Amino acid sequence: MPVDVAELKRSWTGFEFDRVEFPVTAEELAAFARAVGESAPWFVDPGHPEFRAVPNFTTKYHGRRMWPPDFPRLSKHSVGFDAGKRVEVHAPIRAGDVLTARSQIHDIYEKTGRSGSMVFIVHRMEFSNQRGELAAVVDWRFLQQPDPD
Amino acid sequence: MILDLHNHSIRSDDGKARVENYCQWIRRRGLALDGFVLSEHRQFDGESDYRPLEDEFGLLILKASEVETDYGHVLVFGVNEDLLAALDFARVDLPLADVLRETERCGALAVPCHPGRPNVGLFAHYAARGPLPGVTLVETLNGGSRGGENELAGREAERYGYRGVGGSDAHIVSHIGRCATRFEAPIRSAEGLVAALRAGRYEAIACPSTSPS
Amino acid sequence: MRFEDVDFGQDLPELAPDVGPEAVRRFAETAGMLHPRFFDAEAARREGLPGAIVPGIMSQGILAALIHRWAPEARIQVLDTTFRAPLLVGSKPRCRGVVTDLDSDSRSVEIDLTLMNEAGETRVVGTAKVTLP
Repeated sequence: MPVDVAELKRSWTGFEFDRVEFPVTAEELAAFARAVGESAPWFVDPGHPEFRAVPNFTTKYHGRRMWPPDFPRLSKHSVGFDAGKRVEVHAPIRAGDVLTARSQIHDIYEKTGRSGSMVFIVHRMEFSNQRGELAAVVDWRFLQQPDPD
Repeated sequence: MILDLHNHSIRSDDGKARVENYCQWIRRRGLALDGFVLSEHRQFDGESDYRPLEDEFGLLILKASEVETDYGHVLVFGVNEDLLAALDFARVDLPLADVLRETERCGALAVPCHPGRPNVGLFAHYAARGPLPGVTLVETLNGGSRGGENELAGREAERYGYRGVGGSDAHIVSHIGRCATRFEAPIRSAEGLVAALRAGRYEAIACPSTSPS
Repeated sequence: MRFEDVDFGQDLPELAPDVGPEAVRRFAETAGMLHPRFFDAEAARREGLPGAIVPGIMSQGILAALIHRWAPEARIQVLDTTFRAPLLVGSKPRCRGVVTDLDSDSRSVEIDLTLMNEAGETRVVGTAKVTLP
């Protein structure tokens, strides 16, 4: 049965389904920065007065669940593909911060591509720090190929 | 006259380019383009007015659509109100036979794009189901195609007697101008583009070299 | 690099990042991405992949590093990348960027970003919005 994408979108987008806290350490900030090839001291040296996370640091985080409870699985055979990530940086993330990540499904749409029929699910995580300031927003475009039946 | 027939702006869900930046890129890089077509995914952008940009940059900017059919993706030129009423551009499974019939009836033109691509290219479906009458030209040069896809498109187009056009399939600013179509006669409107495509005096070209016309 | 130093169409210096097995393992461990598809070619092939692949967000981070090497004082506001096709561990990619918009009011520039494999095939494409001093 074809997927009713409009109904999926109506039913599943725009509400928070998960909330997790992530304490941020200097070691992980520096390690992530070095691992993507950064060398500037404010990214790799915890002793630098401006030491902070690289822009896409928050893209590594996952919540306790990927989808809301009872979110339909569109394929029995495949969990899907990572189609891309968008990160908005709102405030520096520093060692000692405690980030609260709130997850929602932001959008669902369909299109066809090289791999066939695809449903894109945009998973959004909004990260706030312990002062309640928005630090980053990560949109993860996740591609699923519904089973034909 | 050289036009890049296939590009996406921020109006498309995966487009990241603003039209003004396309214009700036063409002029600053000295690309040999006289204009370009915005072929937004699964919609026709009836709202945007690019005439001020046309005047500022001396470029022809036309609007079209890229729709999704049961034989792959198709560029639709000369979109008008009649055609918008006849077809649901938002569908991902429009019957190509319907698209061909309705574009013909409404004075528009359907051109299968990236026909050499798996799943969303015309010739992959031809291989499985045979050809469909009504196709007369296809996009034989697509700037976003991967190894072998344009070559396959060219071979199969020749096999079926289809003429070929070129377009960049740009989704970011710096990708415009990778492929284009050179027309023998000037074009001034979407209707004129349809007429020129029907007339058949053009060729697909890759990477138009610098120096504007 | 200040905003006034940047021209429309300016190319960023190209970067040839290390995505060998050790580099990818280091990233995957720090990011908590311990799935075998990033380390084990056979495991990756069983999933239908051509071999062990580089995590998409590692490529994204590398593209941010490309910007920072060009303009160390740059502040990336938005980084948006599409993972077009798998990048194999051990391949020799090249990263490129080019300035495609300038806004003097916000002192921000937009940059088109591309990561290609050694065959010149685009694996990651994206854009960034960056403010400069």
